[in-house]
Amino acid sequence: MKITVRFFARFGELLGNTREIEAREGISVIDLVKEAASGNKAGFDTIFDEEGAFRDFVIVMRNKKRIRTQDAGSIPVGEGDEIAVFPPVAGG
Amino acid sequence: MMLFGKEGQEHLQDATIFIAGAGGLGSPVSMYLAVLGVGTLIIADNDRVDQTNLNRQILYRDQDIGRRKAAVAGERLQELNPDITVRAVDATIDQNTVSSLTRDADGIVDALDDFPTRYLLNSAALERGIPLFHGGISGFFGQATTILPGKTPCLRCIIPRPPPAEVFPVAGVTAGFIGMIQVTEVCKYLLCRGDLLAGRLLLWDGMQGRIEEIPVETDPDCEACAGKYTAIS
Ligand SMILES: [Zn+2]
Repeated sequence: MKITVRFFARFGELLGNTREIEAREGISVIDLVKEAASGNKAGFDTIFDEEGAFRDFVIVMRNKKRIRTQDAGSIPVGEGDEIAVFPPVAGG
Repeated sequence: MMLFGKEGQEHLQDATIFIAGAGGLGSPVSMYLAVLGVGTLIIADNDRVDQTNLNRQILYRDQDIGRRKAAVAGERLQELNPDITVRAVDATIDQNTVSSLTRDADGIVDALDDFPTRYLLNSAALERGIPLFHGGISGFFGQATTILPGKTPCLRCIIPRPPPAEVFPVAGVTAGFIGMIQVTEVCKYLLCRGDLLAGRLLLWDGMQGRIEEIPVETDPDCEACAGKYTAIS
């Protein structure tokens, strides 16, 4: 199945803003995002920590609804879903 | 005057807004609030003007380098609008100062560059029941939202863990863009007009020329507001 992953701001600069992923049935949100980010180590490391978990500031949306990143490993992605990954920024 | 009517202008005149920080966001925010005619502006910063600030911190000029930002900001804002009261405070915003700095304010504009201090502002806004107009920027990217205690998720619900300190320089135009969103929010709030960015986080990607908006929800386990307030549905 085809799933769209959108990366915003700095994530998009490193990984491309829109990635179409041919994903296996039942893949979890976190595994899907990992797959989409796998092409660029700097991008991957900006989103995931050493243990492979989402960094705690990262915002993940599934079909415009925010999901808790701690739950992203157990939330499956379905056909036609759109996953969006945002970094809030701290400067002023 | 024409745009807001006499009554609207009086609402602005009667208001006191605290601007936390006189840097990239604080510069355009304070200048536009001054020319809007917001009656009392309190602006706090503990820094000196540095040459590297001048690409975005438009309160300052070349000849201000080395001077205290608060002193220069006070002068410049008063020049822009002699009819308002400007209180420019040379102070660090921390646990000891935040309550006295925000005591008289009807609203707080977040023009800071770090999240730990933003969380202090968030708590002050929750305690006093006044809005917090949040903005954050990096490079050509930014975000903004308006926090209404008791009605919207708080800043800590929305961004529970601080993003890493910025290592990328801010583009001056991004400070202008996000700062103008914050000022627009202040203006609407004071005039009770329009729809605020309440419960919505606006994300600006200048490189893509895209604005996204994500709905945000109250976190029942929020460290800052859990148990204190109930969100509207
Ligand atoms: Zn909260």
